[in-house]
Amino acid sequence: MVQPGNDSDGGTGNPREAECWIAKAWSGKAARYIPARLQSYLIALAAIFSLNFILPRLMPGDPLHAIYGDVALVAMTDEMQSHLIRQLSLDKSWWDQMQAYLLGLMHGDLGFSYYYRDQVSQVILGAMPWTVLLAGLALVIATLIGIILGIESGYNRGSSLDRGLVLSLMFLSGFPDFFVGVLLLLIFAVSLDVLPLSGATSAYAGYQGLSYVADVLRHLALPLAAMVLVQLGDVFLLTRNTVVTLLGESFILTARAKGCPERLIKYAHAGRNSLLPVTTATGMRIPHLITRVLFIEIVFSYPGIGSLLNTAISTRDYPLIQGVLLVVTLTVLSVNFLVDLLYMRLDPRVRYAH
Amino acid sequence: MHIDPLAEVRQDPLARIGLFILATISLMALFAPLLSSYSPNDYTGKIFSPPDMDHPLGTDSVGQDIWVRLLYGARTSLIVAGAVAIISSTLSLLIGATAALVGGFYERFCMRAIDAVTSLPTIVVMILVAAYLRPSLMLLVLLISALSWPTGARIVRSQVLTLKERAHITAARTFGAGKRHIITTHILPELSPIVSSMMMMDARRAVFMEAGLAFLGVSDPMVISWGKMMHQAMAFTYLDVWQWWLVPTGFALSATLIGISFLSFSLEAAMDPRLRKGNVRL
Repeated sequence: MVQPGNDSDGGTGNPREAECWIAKAWSGKAARYIPARLQSYLIALAAIFSLNFILPRLMPGDPLHAIYGDVALVAMTDEMQSHLIRQLSLDKSWWDQMQAYLLGLMHGDLGFSYYYRDQVSQVILGAMPWTVLLAGLALVIATLIGIILGIESGYNRGSSLDRGLVLSLMFLSGFPDFFVGVLLLLIFAVSLDVLPLSGATSAYAGYQGLSYVADVLRHLALPLAAMVLVQLGDVFLLTRNTVVTLLGESFILTARAKGCPERLIKYAHAGRNSLLPVTTATGMRIPHLITRVLFIEIVFSYPGIGSLLNTAISTRDYPLIQGVLLVVTLTVLSVNFLVDLLYMRLDPRVRYAH
Repeated sequence: MHIDPLAEVRQDPLARIGLFILATISLMALFAPLLSSYSPNDYTGKIFSPPDMDHPLGTDSVGQDIWVRLLYGARTSLIVAGAVAIISSTLSLLIGATAALVGGFYERFCMRAIDAVTSLPTIVVMILVAAYLRPSLMLLVLLISALSWPTGARIVRSQVLTLKERAHITAARTFGAGKRHIITTHILPELSPIVSSMMMMDARRAVFMEAGLAFLGVSDPMVISWGKMMHQAMAFTYLDVWQWWLVPTGFALSATLIGISFLSFSLEAAMDPRLRKGNVRL
């Protein structure tokens, strides 16, 4: 984010100064900022643990019943039930139960999903790649398009392009994520029938090599487009507003005065400097991205974590819901923490906020 | 404050559009019984019938009139929006303001709790709790409120912290004004624009969450909700019925959300001088 050797940028991006920030960020108040953030993440994690642990045990009646749900118990043999009771220490005190629960978690044991007839951790791991593929690609594409549109729009503020983009993206961001997905699905998969309706691959098609990649991409197109559309507005508006504010800065005037070409001012001066807030905002958007991807996956029956959650809700597969909650929370918290570290390196002012 | 944000909002075309949309939907919700000759739980006997004079939006998979369910669905969305806005913003105001005024350990504790709740994936938490506790409208309202107050509380706290140091408050204190007097006459009135924008934010999130959860199949079985209608309609996308079942419901939901968004955009723009007309906005 630092502009090396560019003396016309008003002193905001001096490399030496930046090194200084990093050094400072790791001393002094930072020493209090990071533990404070860690504390709140631990509180959040503890809240999720206790939700997962206490809630089923608070329910009236048999705790095994509550943990596994009505449907699962019918399918279980007596032998399986007594095995589970022993494994979860349900016949012992709460303290023993908690130890058994935490010990299980440490071993990566999130319980057994009776619907998929497999360990919850395995089921979630199997679904993870699709979610990561969809969310990751969407994040990159939406950020790139958003930045470019934002720079163009902010630079030509007040033009018909700018007005059109701002109005349409503001309008679009009003739509709930899943309805944007539903509309795309109805238009391209149901009415026009040009793209597949659901899933991530064609079942039993037996594609190999390039045709497999093409098949995956064809299935990815609609969910990806939906994800990009719902995220575009945020990146775009932020970039545009940053560029508009930057255009009033003196380093832009200097660049103009020394005869810089317009394109260079637009991208190398205004555009590049707008990257800092956009990068940090992108990091902060990741937790939100995860909730969004769940919805979009459900709309398109894309076989990731979201679809798992959907199946788990409709089949009342409680261990699977708990597992998804735990995995999503852990992901969100670790991403948050990484963003905190990155943010603090990028912007020392954060230190003063706490 | 030298600018009156509320007066400015009244002049803003964006806010007017937002208000118009919300007013239309509220009227639809209010006069739902007059706008349709059916009751939302009537079975008409015909399933999947296309729109005609009797049923402006046809009937659904069990033969219920879609138009009347759309009208009653608006009630659910608006009730949830209003209830969550009130409960959540009261919590934000109470916790944010006391954190800033009391300070010390209490403040640190509140801030940690706020950070913790905001870093949770709210939708998934609500799904789990609702799955165990059998979703009811009341439970959903309480859950949404319990998970959405922290954002507002953080804003209120930082606002009260700056207000506390303003010259006119120091002046009031020099004249011997008590804590209660300062809070009621100086701090609370100045918070009103922030609280109103906070309520709008909460209302929008509540409408979205209620519909989103119902769309995922987590909803009060006794309540008619747009999200639930969309959830049901998603199973029949292979029939033409989506044209008058799924799409109008989705647009009604989107219109409500857009109405609230437009109002809060314009309120925010009026309050934040950097976003004022001639600066960044159009």
